[in-house]
Amino acid sequence: MMSMVDGRAMEAQFEAFRVQLDDSGAVRERLRTVVADLDNVIRMMQASLLPVHHATLQGKEVLDKAKSYIPSLQKIYSQLSEIIRERPGQYYRYHDHWRSQTHTVVFLLAFVHWLDTQGLLSHREVETLLNVKSEEFSIDIEDYLIGLCNVSNELPRYVVNRVTAGDYDCPRQVSAFLSDLFSAFRILNLRNDLLRKRFDGLKYDLKKVEEVLYDVKIRGLMSTQATANPMES
Amino acid sequence: MASEDIAERALGKKPRIMAEESPLQSKFQEIGRALDLMNEKRERLVKASRDITIHSKKVIFAVHRVSGINKTAMLEQAERDLSAVRTNQVTRLAKELQGNDYWKFRRAYSPGLQEFVEAATTVEFVKSGQLLTLQQLNQSFANIKDAANKPFEVSIPDYILGVGDLTGELMRLAVSGIAAGERQAAISVCNLIRGLYEGFSMLPALQDNIRDWKTKSDVMLQSLIKVETACYNVHVRGLEYPPEMLASEFEYGEDDL
Repeated sequence: MMSMVDGRAMEAQFEAFRVQLDDSGAVRERLRTVVADLDNVIRMMQASLLPVHHATLQGKEVLDKAKSYIPSLQKIYSQLSEIIRERPGQYYRYHDHWRSQTHTVVFLLAFVHWLDTQGLLSHREVETLLNVKSEEFSIDIEDYLIGLCNVSNELPRYVVNRVTAGDYDCPRQVSAFLSDLFSAFRILNLRNDLLRKRFDGLKYDLKKVEEVLYDVKIRGLMSTQATANPMES
Repeated sequence: MASEDIAERALGKKPRIMAEESPLQSKFQEIGRALDLMNEKRERLVKASRDITIHSKKVIFAVHRVSGINKTAMLEQAERDLSAVRTNQVTRLAKELQGNDYWKFRRAYSPGLQEFVEAATTVEFVKSGQLLTLQQLNQSFANIKDAANKPFEVSIPDYILGVGDLTGELMRLAVSGIAAGERQAAISVCNLIRGLYEGFSMLPALQDNIRDWKTKSDVMLQSLIKVETACYNVHVRGLEYPPEMLASEFEYGEDDL
């Protein structure tokens, strides 16, 4: 016959679990507070970038204004990494708290960088800008890639507005960049997840930009010195 | 150049996508390798998890076949089978993980570990009538090391969810116990489930698996009510009631996936 269940041992175990789960809940609460600040900075930085779509001149002040939020981002990411550093190995337990925000942060940094240099901001450069590279807290590679997809999504609108503002060389630059980015993404073996879905959207961005390029080109609006279209090679 | 390309294809190497790589593309080559390694690891973990599930389920089925006569021999066999799952599949799983991987890939391997917890706690209950604690379970993992040679442990969420499934098994044991005339056993099971349910009720919602948590808490209460009803029937109608009829009221089914 079975002995009676040791109720006290069981209760003690559940009590220990409760303490540990409450502790984990407190970590989530702290993260939520920090991420609320992150949301604010992201919103401000995003708003500061909006003029690139309508400013008649390529605004250096616009970019400077956007970049002025980077120190705030650094501060917030250092707070996040401090919280996570107290929980070694548990980065991905709490990753969901800052995941979608990080997509937007990568987008903002990479878009500003592209506007500035016409080049792609690398994963390592994102980490340098945010000052987060460490064993316990780094920027997840898939988050970085999703952020880049957001950059691609933004470019068709940007091109349309630049052309309207009379910048007829912009479509060529953007289409060269996007087709380079698109073929780079094609190197990756993606599984069926969010990133894959976002990648599938890239070709529509490229198509829209190419349509604008076509419009500008057949009307002879582009400057003469560089007519080589990277897509024709 | 072209013939080299063909030779490479013949050797099964990845064909180059473009003759000339832009700097951007070579950066993505690096990212691609990292993603491939990650996805391969995830696949291996899913497979290990599935193997753990299959073997653990076999142990649970075997425990349900235990009856008075063959109890000792069958329990010994079940323990040997569990220990084989530990040394083979769980060890294989642990070797894939280190540092941040444990939580990163948890979704890939967690179902297997939960099933193992369910099997191990079921065996322990039939053997001693006690709940196998997380601490005892992790002690049985003492020889299992992860890729960084640190001890591999079952996390609290996986243990809790596995124990949640245990209640379903206990319910079946209680019902078949009543059918076999072991009324005292049913009461003992009823007490354990009640204790578990009380324990679960005082825990904060499991944020790590919020959906599983809600369904399992519901299923747990259902199992408890079934066992309580069975105990009630036996108590009120006593021995006049043919045990087989009681058993037939509680169909096997639904429960674990």
